[in-house]
Amino acid sequence: MKIVVCIKQVPETNDVKIDPVTHNLDRRGLAGVMNPFDKNAIELALTLKDSRDDVQVALLTMGPDDYAESLREGMAMGADEGYLLSDRAFAGADTLATGYVIAQALKKIGDADLILFGRQAVDADTGQVGPIVAEFLHQPQITYAASLRLSGANEVTAERLLEDTKQTLVAQLPAVVSVRSELNTPRYPTPRNIQLSFAKPLTVWHHDDLDLDDSRLGQAGSPTIVTKVYAPEPVKRELTPLTGTPSDAASQLITALKNRQLI
Amino acid sequence: MSKPELWVIAERRLDHVEPTTQQLITKAKGLAGDHFSVVTILLEATTDHLEDELSVYGPDEIRIARDDRFPTATDAELADAIKQLVDQYQPNSILFGATITGRSIAPRLQAKLQTGLTADCLDLRFDDETLVATKPSYGDNIMCEIICPDHRPQMATVRPNTFVAAPAAGAATVTDSPVTFHPVDRLHVTAATPVVNTATTVGDASRVVALGRGAASAATIDSATKLAEKLGGRIGVSRPLTDQPRFTHDDQIGQSGNTIHPELIVNFGISGAVQYLVGMQDSQTIVAVNADENAPIFDVADYGYVGDAQAFMTALLAQFN
Amino acid sequence: MPSTTAAAEKLLLQMVDDYTQREISPQDMAMDAAGDFPEGFLAKLTETGFLGIMLPQEFGGAGFGPEVTATVLNHIARGNASTAVTLEGHFKTIDQILKFGTPALQKQLLPSATERIFAFSMTEASGGSNPMGISSTATREGNHWVLNGDKIMITNGGLAEVYCVLVKTAPHELSVFVVDQDMPGFSFGKREDFIGLRGTPVGEIVMDHIIVDDDHLLGKVGDGGLIGDSAHDDARILMGAVLTGIMEHELKIATDYAKERKAGNTPLTDLQVTHRKVADIALRKETTKLLYQRAAQLKAAGQPYSEEAAMAKAHGSRAAVSAGDDTLQILAGYGYSREYPVEHLIRDARAMEIAEGTVEKMRSAIATAEFNK
Repeated sequence: MKIVVCIKQVPETNDVKIDPVTHNLDRRGLAGVMNPFDKNAIELALTLKDSRDDVQVALLTMGPDDYAESLREGMAMGADEGYLLSDRAFAGADTLATGYVIAQALKKIGDADLILFGRQAVDADTGQVGPIVAEFLHQPQITYAASLRLSGANEVTAERLLEDTKQTLVAQLPAVVSVRSELNTPRYPTPRNIQLSFAKPLTVWHHDDLDLDDSRLGQAGSPTIVTKVYAPEPVKRELTPLTGTPSDAASQLITALKNRQLI
Repeated sequence: MSKPELWVIAERRLDHVEPTTQQLITKAKGLAGDHFSVVTILLEATTDHLEDELSVYGPDEIRIARDDRFPTATDAELADAIKQLVDQYQPNSILFGATITGRSIAPRLQAKLQTGLTADCLDLRFDDETLVATKPSYGDNIMCEIICPDHRPQMATVRPNTFVAAPAAGAATVTDSPVTFHPVDRLHVTAATPVVNTATTVGDASRVVALGRGAASAATIDSATKLAEKLGGRIGVSRPLTDQPRFTHDDQIGQSGNTIHPELIVNFGISGAVQYLVGMQDSQTIVAVNADENAPIFDVADYGYVGDAQAFMTALLAQFN
Repeated sequence: MPSTTAAAEKLLLQMVDDYTQREISPQDMAMDAAGDFPEGFLAKLTETGFLGIMLPQEFGGAGFGPEVTATVLNHIARGNASTAVTLEGHFKTIDQILKFGTPALQKQLLPSATERIFAFSMTEASGGSNPMGISSTATREGNHWVLNGDKIMITNGGLAEVYCVLVKTAPHELSVFVVDQDMPGFSFGKREDFIGLRGTPVGEIVMDHIIVDDDHLLGKVGDGGLIGDSAHDDARILMGAVLTGIMEHELKIATDYAKERKAGNTPLTDLQVTHRKVADIALRKETTKLLYQRAAQLKAAGQPYSEEAAMAKAHGSRAAVSAGDDTLQILAGYGYSREYPVEHLIRDARAMEIAEGTVEKMRSAIATAEFNK
């Protein structure tokens, strides 16, 4: 059984700045790390690998060459191999163009039974690429899975938490699953496995290695355009002071909260 | 010539309409003016009448596709049904709630339509017929305005509780628009049980008692725990308190992506760093207690008390009893 | 593309920082209060492979070099110094077995060093800084050695399962043997109640007629002084790293506090008195860091590093105590409160003016090295 986990590399902090002159995001000096939510997807894959002898776990990412660091980290956690989709032609892609290239790469890998995603990336916060890939591959999807187990030779059973409902879903493989971060606690890569991960295969695929329609790549293949980026300002409110002794002030607050039907 | 259509995809929440759908209809009406026609798309069972709840908010039209399989349909099946309607009516824009369901179906539909989708939006406006969607990134530290200039329909998912639903006069036209249900045999919902939402993280809590450096003693934390229980909420902390053994980064508000917007937040001993303020400013009611009258937290609070956190908390607890 | 080594070291430090932030820092205050590691804490550290960071890969370790190993302890100590010192005691012991053990002994012992903590014991009630004052003995009986004596104040004593022990093989002859807690005649004595580094156990072992073969002798008979000095050197580099971590923690507390607080209407960051203290803390931190890194570089390059290692510890230990004192003063009442970590960081740092050779002894060693140039 082959599991492919799709991961993304993100800046190590969300404390990003806007360049005051260009109004662009200033990413200088921001080291890249694996999207934390993707570690839950890798952990799920490794748990399944631990439970059965025949499970192979591959990692797949699209991005510049330094995204190899996140693939190594995932291999240091225990994944068997990594695929990096790297080409200038892929740059500037939105979720649709990203999903297209990842889907084409998954077609080339060919025999993935389970394709896993983290719930969303912490930089762009969309969570869209998983369903897009599922659609392009014509596979069923289970998003935001709260649990997942192999319930048959070729079948998974998952729980999914909607706002009001807990669903149980049964999918015949192959299928695409994205996972909630509460699903598990990702293991740490051990120091020894970090060293050994550098002996595991890391395949880099460029534009010409994949079967691609150029009009669907990168910025040109992306329907959306970011027109403005800005930092939010805290929104000021009109303050009603609570005054007097602590007891007076507490009494004023209780009245106010009652008026607002909060207590 | 008929007006371009602005769609709101209605979503079900147990036996009712998801509140976000109502919020979106009100917002869409505001955006539409005379230029767009606001159409609510409703996929429901033959015996359902969710249109009765939707019409209160006054969309121009409620367009219904009925099939008894819709209430338990999977993402791909729902996206397929909506795709058929899009092909038939060619809307200008489609809005979904950024609920679990909305965020699952919308990108699937986007891929079918090969168009743009902006996620989890906090604001929407039109420049002529171009939808300008504002979405947060980097854990709400950055806002982006995003457009989809050359592809139609334009699509967005909108964060729940971003807009306020308002009932509106005017009778909506209710029409039936049949679609063909294409079942996906490889995926089935085998059970669905309603859940009562219990707050497991500070981000889920509807009431939050927040503690900072000025409210860090063991006694104050004990009082705050009691206060949180009385309010039916949970404790959250600002960054300095994550150094304390009983708190972790899961309890932290702001900075680490833990943006919260509870009904009520009472801040004790928190002066208010920018990312903290941005991380909780969407709370409905904000109360601040701080010894420093110049603390920035008072700029964003509805109610403020300048004084000792422990003394105020003790007084508050006494009056609750 | 960066080299494989550099890439692996980067990943390692990333993991260490993540682990420290999530698993170690949150336990810092509790460890000091309880005077022990929390339940399950060391098990998880072990399971995550920390014990094997510098152990060569052929023995099941990760085989990272001296520089990155020291940096790992520096980063861990930002969260908690006791955890870093327990690893320091383990690593310096492995280092001596690698330097002085026979291949057979290494093959027998070292694979277990990924799961069992090792310790090096020199001090006795009758002699700390003066090794010749010790009274433990190893006497030859037939083809064996028989070990007797009491070793005290052992870093990880009681926690470690394998001990290198300094004993006399003749009235003026020191040698080092390796004993295992499972050997007949081995027992644990009392645990010290120290004021700092309270997570790390420091304790006593008692050897009552422990019989070992020749292969449990490190180096040759009479190499005890040499091996003891070598263990000190390796420990002192790592202690310089731990002290740097303590100072980084202090600096963060001081700057975070100064950035958020005002004296009257003046932000603390606008006060010259704050500038002076913060700059001094930063200078002490950075000089210590440069010293331990320099010593580690020399060690990695196979050059002498004894003097530089002594400098890292001699300078760093006083520097961290002083930096803690300045931090306490910036936080004033909060700094003096046991609800904040500053006071225990001072107690933690203070230990390293004594352990692995007092600062006075460090200065003698540095001066002697200078006279000999």
